[in-house]
Amino acid sequence: MSRVASAIVATGQTEHGRRLDTSMAELAREAIDRCLDSRGLSLQDVDAVVAGNMEMFEGIYLVDQLFVGALGAIGKPLYKLNTGGTVGASTALACYHLVASGRHERVLGVGFQKQSDGSTQAAITTVGDPVWERAVMAGAIGNFASMASTYIAESGVTPEQAAKVAVLARRNACRNPYAHLRMPDITVEQVLESEMLAYPIHRLDMCPSSDGACAILMAAEDVAGDLADRPAWVHSVATVHDQQYMGDSPKRLAVMRSLRGAAAKAYKLAGIDYPLRQLDVAEVYEPASYALLAMCENLGFCAMGDGGRLIDEGIITMEGQLPVNPSGGVLSTNPVGATAMIRVAEAASQVMGEAGEHQIEQVHRALATGYGGNAWTDMMILGDERPSR
Amino acid sequence: MSTTHSNTWIVGLGEARTAARRDDLALNELAWEAIAPALRDAGVTLSQITGAVTASQDFWDGRTISSMNVNELVGGATGSEAKVAADGTQALAYAAARIEDGDQHLNLVLAHAKESQGDVHSIELAAFDPFFERQLDPDECVLAAMQAQQLYATGRFTAEHAARVVSAFRARSQVLEPLGVEQVLASAATATPLRELDRAPLMDAAAALVVCDDLVADQLAAQRVRVVASSSRTSAYWSQRACIHDAPEAAAAATDALGLAGWSMDDLDVIELNAPYAHQYLILASALGLGDGEQLVERMESDPKLSPSGGWLAGSASGVAGLRSVVDAVARLRESGGRALVHATTGLCLQSHHVVLLEGGAQEASR
Repeated sequence: MSRVASAIVATGQTEHGRRLDTSMAELAREAIDRCLDSRGLSLQDVDAVVAGNMEMFEGIYLVDQLFVGALGAIGKPLYKLNTGGTVGASTALACYHLVASGRHERVLGVGFQKQSDGSTQAAITTVGDPVWERAVMAGAIGNFASMASTYIAESGVTPEQAAKVAVLARRNACRNPYAHLRMPDITVEQVLESEMLAYPIHRLDMCPSSDGACAILMAAEDVAGDLADRPAWVHSVATVHDQQYMGDSPKRLAVMRSLRGAAAKAYKLAGIDYPLRQLDVAEVYEPASYALLAMCENLGFCAMGDGGRLIDEGIITMEGQLPVNPSGGVLSTNPVGATAMIRVAEAASQVMGEAGEHQIEQVHRALATGYGGNAWTDMMILGDERPSR
Repeated sequence: MSTTHSNTWIVGLGEARTAARRDDLALNELAWEAIAPALRDAGVTLSQITGAVTASQDFWDGRTISSMNVNELVGGATGSEAKVAADGTQALAYAAARIEDGDQHLNLVLAHAKESQGDVHSIELAAFDPFFERQLDPDECVLAAMQAQQLYATGRFTAEHAARVVSAFRARSQVLEPLGVEQVLASAATATPLRELDRAPLMDAAAALVVCDDLVADQLAAQRVRVVASSSRTSAYWSQRACIHDAPEAAAAATDALGLAGWSMDDLDVIELNAPYAHQYLILASALGLGDGEQLVERMESDPKLSPSGGWLAGSASGVAGLRSVVDAVARLRESGGRALVHATTGLCLQSHHVVLLEGGAQEASR
């Protein structure tokens, strides 16, 4: 394993949603302050900062340099990552590598985005190849609609099963004070009757566009125990990509090579053979309802093509065998630069026993994933036991 | 707390042909022009590469997640790639961290930019505060001019000193024509007191390294150079600094890295500096304690240790310049051994500083 065992010892989030009350820099600082204040720490206790944000969304080039004061990075090493939907998880992984390699003892990671300040659809459309893809790809929705169609054909999953996922997420979010979409009364019928954005994706099948920020503090083994009663130790990390063009990786959502590859590596390093039994909670980056079921299949929570059963039988509900996204997930909250870090922070909070109303009992091991760009995956497995080196 | 790197090796070098316009190549083809020779140099194939850290800017590429365009070229497809939005030296530092903690063993580091494809003023304008500064329509040149005004007002340096740096560094360039001091001073005024030739010209460039851990390095025939330490520091945003004509964070980053290595400035055989404007080299060199005023300029003109590649002024691109200097420094260390410090910068007015220390030669080959 690593040179230095590393653990997340604190997390902080803003209230997510349409945050017209504050600026993007203030959002980032709100999350940082909540993270550090939760342990009685200050910026003086931070050795380095890793920032994650997608600059094209708000149109600020070198945003980490402009916001360096808000990020608490003046006079410190400041790393800037920029990897699309995964960026929050990529940022968390960078915090881990900078600590696990012995370079720093306490690294602050912060992901932030204020999508109401820009045009998410326009920015995401520029992800595509300017010649071959942009004219036919309508941001994230078109992409996921295409992938969901393939997934339906491959797995036989139904619109009703996908709608149940959307309902579960928004109801779970009601227990999360930071979540954007909290809809206690949402029904399957409402999801199915909501506007069709791009077949088969209805409006309520899709994640929202949010303003928000999230921060984590990663600490080395020598100090982690002093900073948190129950640190969330990093048991494994993995990053795996797919190919750039959708046509080069057929059945992209049905056969998620990056998620399978990352899971294979992360499970092996963490000694996990039966994820459904050995994980206690999972925070999965699901930008659309269909995606969650496909991801759960590819994470090995069930047999391939059996994703619908996970939701029909309640296996992934708060009370199920493996609760997935008790926070409400991406379907309830999506400030892109922070979204994947929220998955990591929520998983860490579950291990630390600090998830509040959506805390799952007896969490010893938690999984967090990030997903974005050309279908790539970042993954982190956290646990309450300090890993051997 | 930090520790020195003890097991990150540079075993392959590659650089694309740098030119003002590479219309003959698409951006990913330009990147491959750097990657392919780096792989050959290391004696490995792309299929052996398990991951990469790349450096590029979405704004220059006109593309959200700019690394997607090069992901397959660096072994990223089904491999592990991460992207920093900073100079390529930060990508090298992050790649070293991933190797040091045992996650990665044989990786590529890539920096690329095609400045000819960007609308320079629009991109630079986007780096300014959107509410309070953009209405003034500034760009990096205007800010660099304010910095130069402050610097020259101290009486320590003049515009002629900066022109002499341009002339000296252009003479070391492999890609740009030599320039006389008078040519620089007679070039078109851009923003007082700067002239057009005070600025490193916009270029299309890419640089790549193959890096690995001890075990892999032992199995390769390639001559290796060790990444001994790295550090970085970021200062406040320019408008929150009373003084923008100094670079204390450059000195802090260098001091930290040297401390980790147990070296002093006197131990260095090569010192590579990078900045987009000539007067900024004077700021950097004096911040690093290399001298001051006329004496420093004479040293920059004559000392073979100081920016032997000519740095960014000799032809490179934003985000590539620092990594290109690493390529150049490693080539020198392979030839004559010794120790090198490579500096790079990101941001307006020398805001972020990255420092990498390298060691090569007989003692490293025998490790």
